[in-house]
Amino acid sequence: MTPERWQQISRIFNAAISLDGQERAAYVKDECGVDTGLRSEVEKLIAAHGNAQSERFIDGMAAEAAAPLLVNDADFEPPRLSLTQGQQLGSYVILDALGAGGMGEVYLARDSRLERTVALKVLSEEIAKDQRRMQRFRQEAKVASSLNQPNILTVFEFGEVEGLTFLATEYVDGQTLRDFLKQKRLKLGDILDIGIQVLAALDAAHEAHIVHRDMKPENVMVRRRDRVVKVLDFGLAKVSDKKSSGNESEASEADTAFKTAPGTIVGTINYLSPEQARGGPIDERTDIWSTGVMMYEMVAGVLPFSGVTSSHTIVQILEKDPAPLSKLGNAPPELERIVEKAIAKSPDERYQTAKDMLIDLRSLKKRMDLELEIQRTSSPTTMIPAIRTEEVRRETGKRRVLAVVLIGMAIVTAAIIGINVWRSWRVRSNGGAVAPATAFAPGERTLTYWITVQKFRDKKPFQDPFTIPGEMIFEEDYQIRLSFSSPQTGHLYILNEGPASSAAPEFNVVFPSSTANKGSSLIAAQQVTQIPEQSWLKFDAQRGTEKLWLVFSEDAVPELESVKEFAGPQTQGLIADPARNKVVQNFLKTHSETKPTIEKGERLTTLKSPGKLLVHAIRLEHH
Amino acid sequence: MPRQHDITQLLAEWRDGNQSALDELYPLVYDELHRLARRYMSRERKGHTLQTTALINEAYVRLVDQKNVRWANRSHFFAISAQIMRRILIDHARRHAYAKRGGGAQQVSLEDVATVLPDQSGELLRLDEALKSLAEMDPRRSQVVELRYFGGLNNEEIAGVLNISENTVTRDWNMARAWLYQQLTGSGAN
Repeated sequence: MTPERWQQISRIFNAAISLDGQERAAYVKDECGVDTGLRSEVEKLIAAHGNAQSERFIDGMAAEAAAPLLVNDADFEPPRLSLTQGQQLGSYVILDALGAGGMGEVYLARDSRLERTVALKVLSEEIAKDQRRMQRFRQEAKVASSLNQPNILTVFEFGEVEGLTFLATEYVDGQTLRDFLKQKRLKLGDILDIGIQVLAALDAAHEAHIVHRDMKPENVMVRRRDRVVKVLDFGLAKVSDKKSSGNESEASEADTAFKTAPGTIVGTINYLSPEQARGGPIDERTDIWSTGVMMYEMVAGVLPFSGVTSSHTIVQILEKDPAPLSKLGNAPPELERIVEKAIAKSPDERYQTAKDMLIDLRSLKKRMDLELEIQRTSSPTTMIPAIRTEEVRRETGKRRVLAVVLIGMAIVTAAIIGINVWRSWRVRSNGGAVAPATAFAPGERTLTYWITVQKFRDKKPFQDPFTIPGEMIFEEDYQIRLSFSSPQTGHLYILNEGPASSAAPEFNVVFPSSTANKGSSLIAAQQVTQIPEQSWLKFDAQRGTEKLWLVFSEDAVPELESVKEFAGPQTQGLIADPARNKVVQNFLKTHSETKPTIEKGERLTTLKSPGKLLVHAIRLEHH
Repeated sequence: MPRQHDITQLLAEWRDGNQSALDELYPLVYDELHRLARRYMSRERKGHTLQTTALINEAYVRLVDQKNVRWANRSHFFAISAQIMRRILIDHARRHAYAKRGGGAQQVSLEDVATVLPDQSGELLRLDEALKSLAEMDPRRSQVVELRYFGGLNNEEIAGVLNISENTVTRDWNMARAWLYQQLTGSGAN
């Protein structure tokens, strides 16, 4: 923008905002004349002015925050990051700075030998001189590289180059569990997912007789992309006392670190087990304790043991029974039992192995998933949140009968227990749109869908709607609704390909539309997307097979983003531009060659596809 | 504490176009602001808040030789202070953003950071960038924002500092704020 133009805009803008409504519009129109570009810029700026005013945009916030910050010396010092982008460190090329902490600096780097991206922790000189801490890093590298498990952060290398000591690990784009806990209360499904993965990591470590000994939320990372959990920092880990027949002379650092002078404890002691607090012998069951404490914190939002000073905390760890979870959070009784067992004061009363605890958590999760499915399929209205307590109680008996019919005898017992477990939790939590919590593996796309069918007679709904997992022959007076959900975040596109009547197939954009999901293709994990949101989909007069193309991708798909604009009511989503229609056709053709695996349940269909992209066509036959 | 004379002298030199005077001034003013802030906080009065404007005012009174004061000196002092406040916040936000991005086996303590600027660091950094672009186009309007938003000054004080009318400050502010809003929300024309 030229300075003259800028001055012109600001002159009209300033005069205009002192006028009201009609007068203002007329003034702007008058001033801008035929220059529609100018007019549009002024109008946008006026709109921004209104929004900025009502939102109190930059209204005094920074000034208030600045002064207190001055008190803290460290905040004024910019992070002392000594390496710059593009700089070479041995075979590593620095891509970006990730942060600086007590230990040193962390960079995103590319390993040019092996062509992989790594997190490069460059240790500060001070640390590099400290033999004990160096031992910790060597230990971490040694232990973690011997444990090849997807939930354990992979350590590639611990070494030295050009006088700098570094640790190269797998790069995880995500947040620590600590960050998660700070931001929000976790959902029960997430808590179970995280707990299960942490225990899977510990199970693998324990199998190798390695005890982590420093489990805490700071050492659990959750990858943004797919919520895969990574356990970090095996720096304090050691071979289990059970196995290393009483080699007590090698006084472990974890034990001594916490026994230094009061007030000098650097790390957190809230996750310390009673035996660690006492300085007693430590084995795998210490990790189970710490995991139990983390799970308690995830459910309750507060720590089970936390005193005003570290000595108070230690006394609590040794002696106090924490407040029952059922009083603090919305934990089902079964989860409360699992957590309580994990934090039994005596190691002998705890879960004896990570595997046992893992099995209990997994079966709890399965039961809840099952219960969710029953609940959803027994009545389509359960997708709508806020079931009142009385209603649920009244309907319980009826749904149990339904469960018997639907699921079959083999799992009836489990289902009924599931209902009890789940209901007692749900009644208290007062519901929410619930999504099926399907398990998924890393490097895989998972999408679940179901179809709700409503019969119509004389243009009026006839009989209750029912839910099916997919294909059937639809009668003319059937109207449908599609629901989608995934345990993963991703971009969802749904296109309708009508019965082929001519040479070139026609595509209609069904999702996203200007009304559905506010025009965005991005759906959150566990979000239930229903199409259409309010009404039902009707088949048109043209009989045959309608194909509904589902594309679910980790990243936005440019080919499909570019046709979103057609999803307006005028064209019914029809991609009117032949060239772009062709682009869509080619995209679907190319990518539908990799077929997803299809798992059909009683009421749901789950699609799984390797890689970042899932493409599948649902065929809807109607007569 | 630096002598009043030095600061007053440096402010005059800077006003007269000596840029290296700014380099000398910056740490002196920063140190004084810092020292005052610490003293305030150490009193720990109940319900006491530390306000940016009060802080800058007090620093000014302490640092500048009142007998030889000139408006131009005062304005330059406030301009530096606002710049310092801006830098403090931006550095802070940048660290916060680094830490939030997570990564590898890194552990950055965020205990104090999160309480001050919850989740606003990204926005603050983008605002800083937008403000830099604005300064290229329209230095005065960008300065109005810096003085008000980062320096904590009111319109009257800004008018005094920049030697313009209060009405002009209001107009500059409205225009600059609307433009920045556009830049940050992506509702702009471009």
